[in-house]
Amino acid sequence: MRAESLAARLRSHALLTTLSLVAILPLYWMFVTALRAPNEIFSTVPWPENPSLANFTYILGGVPILRMLWNTLVVATLTTAAQLITALLAAYAFARWKNRWSQALFALLTVTWLIPAQVVMVPGYLLVTRLDMLDTLAGLVIPHAASAFAIIVLYQTLRAFPTELIEAAVVDGAGHLRILHSLIVPNIKPALASLAILLFISSWNDYFWPLLVTRSQESAVIQIGLQMFMTQEGNQWGPLMAASSLASLPLLAVYLVLQKRIVDSFLRSGLK
Amino acid sequence: MTQALPFEARIERDDARSAARQLRLPGWVVPALFLAPAFATLAAWIYWPLLEALRLSFYEWNLLPTTEPVFVGLDNYRNLLALAELRAAAWNTVVYTLGLLPLTVGLPLLIALMTREAVGRAGAVYRAIIFVPMIIAPVVVAVVWRWLLNPNHGIVNKLLEALGLPAMRFLQDADTAIWTIIFITGWKLVGFSTLLFAAAMTNIESSLIEAARIDGASEGQVARRIVVPLIAPTTIFLTVLTVLHGAQWSFVYINVLTQGGPRNATTNLYYLLWEYGFSTFAIGWSTAAGMLLFAAFAVFAAFGLSAMQRNDRHAG
Repeated sequence: MRAESLAARLRSHALLTTLSLVAILPLYWMFVTALRAPNEIFSTVPWPENPSLANFTYILGGVPILRMLWNTLVVATLTTAAQLITALLAAYAFARWKNRWSQALFALLTVTWLIPAQVVMVPGYLLVTRLDMLDTLAGLVIPHAASAFAIIVLYQTLRAFPTELIEAAVVDGAGHLRILHSLIVPNIKPALASLAILLFISSWNDYFWPLLVTRSQESAVIQIGLQMFMTQEGNQWGPLMAASSLASLPLLAVYLVLQKRIVDSFLRSGLK
Repeated sequence: MTQALPFEARIERDDARSAARQLRLPGWVVPALFLAPAFATLAAWIYWPLLEALRLSFYEWNLLPTTEPVFVGLDNYRNLLALAELRAAAWNTVVYTLGLLPLTVGLPLLIALMTREAVGRAGAVYRAIIFVPMIIAPVVVAVVWRWLLNPNHGIVNKLLEALGLPAMRFLQDADTAIWTIIFITGWKLVGFSTLLFAAAMTNIESSLIEAARIDGASEGQVARRIVVPLIAPTTIFLTVLTVLHGAQWSFVYINVLTQGGPRNATTNLYYLLWEYGFSTFAIGWSTAAGMLLFAAFAVFAAFGLSAMQRNDRHAG
């Protein structure tokens, strides 16, 4: 029995180690290539023999990559904030006023799950053009200011909120916004933080909509900037890996700190 | 959704009514104001575009603001359905979806089952590492794999050479390109799915498993008869998710790595929509193909949802 369980544990470790290596080695190789000296790019030594930042200085000198990272940060932060606010208001309404109409609207929310971005891209693109938001950061944020996913997640959170607390606030004469702001928000902070993480990561990594709206390097988010650079200088592997590393570092840094919380948020709410 | 909810308490409605009375507004105004920001946005950028896409699917148009869309009735649909290109893309969409299922459902389930034995404190470390691909941007993933799989200098081919195997043109060869894209798409998700299964398994009452073991059940029987049925909701969730979104997840890899090639080997319906829309500017075809895709989705989603609900009822 004990030998069997030892074997089973070894098997677990072997499998999980393999899976970990599969997950991490490609990214390790990205960093190693980025840190190699330019004349050693094709080396197969598993670490940079003469570590150099030449690839990074090259990419920082040639492409406005810091600007792109800044754009991405702005877009992801504003999108997350907007989605949280619109979702809080809507989830509150759904949780608080229940009737035929609100149920129909709620059903309409779930339909968005079935609409691929590619199906609605042409009218969306035309609308962005008409609003003069092509190639602007506003054109990236405003169309994504509401997320059906966020509303549904927050609705589930609010449904579980203790009624007695709300009733007490109502007796005290608090209005809806006040209840939301001073009672509900402070009490669901962990859920809000988890949701914010998910929304931020998915906005940071969004590709399709920026692909549609972006034209210039100056207003590009990092995803599009990286693709632009790859299209121009596809086989400059050193600078390309340096750019990829820079694109990944911010989220990896956040992940290093909030790792447990991020994984938990994803596992609890699933994929967008 | 019809069960009694905390918020539904009568006092809440009275409160809503009295607040409305104070402001002399009809009762629906306040809730409408709370819903307005979200629904105005969704209406402008999802619901209206869907209807507009439906309208455009009956027109022929090249996206130029100087030209007028010409009404062509059902021609776009007729032409599309007769098009070999569309049938090839639809078939590839099926290949993508079915090809992804082993990576997002099969393999993760197997790994989760085989690693149920406690791994102690190392578990947290594995978890943290296995999850990493999920937070890496798809474009980065595409660029990194392009480097790893490079025919001349990529490390994967260097390793193949070292093993005495011929170098592979993973993304350039029409026979391997689609499988390479499927692999890359799956690489990002396999860890997440495994963790999701593992999380579902830790929720199973250990007494159930103990009891089965005492009754003489083998580990295989425990897995088959107890664990797999009890985590069915997770299995169904991941399957539905993959079928609905799998081929869509690969869009970025197709666009960055192969642009549908070589010789249309890696194109799928999503990529075809994109090509019709923004490289050949056949707006009518793009929107008509989009409508067909949406219709197929709705049918599948109805099946998927009813499967999930049935399962919920079983799980009680």
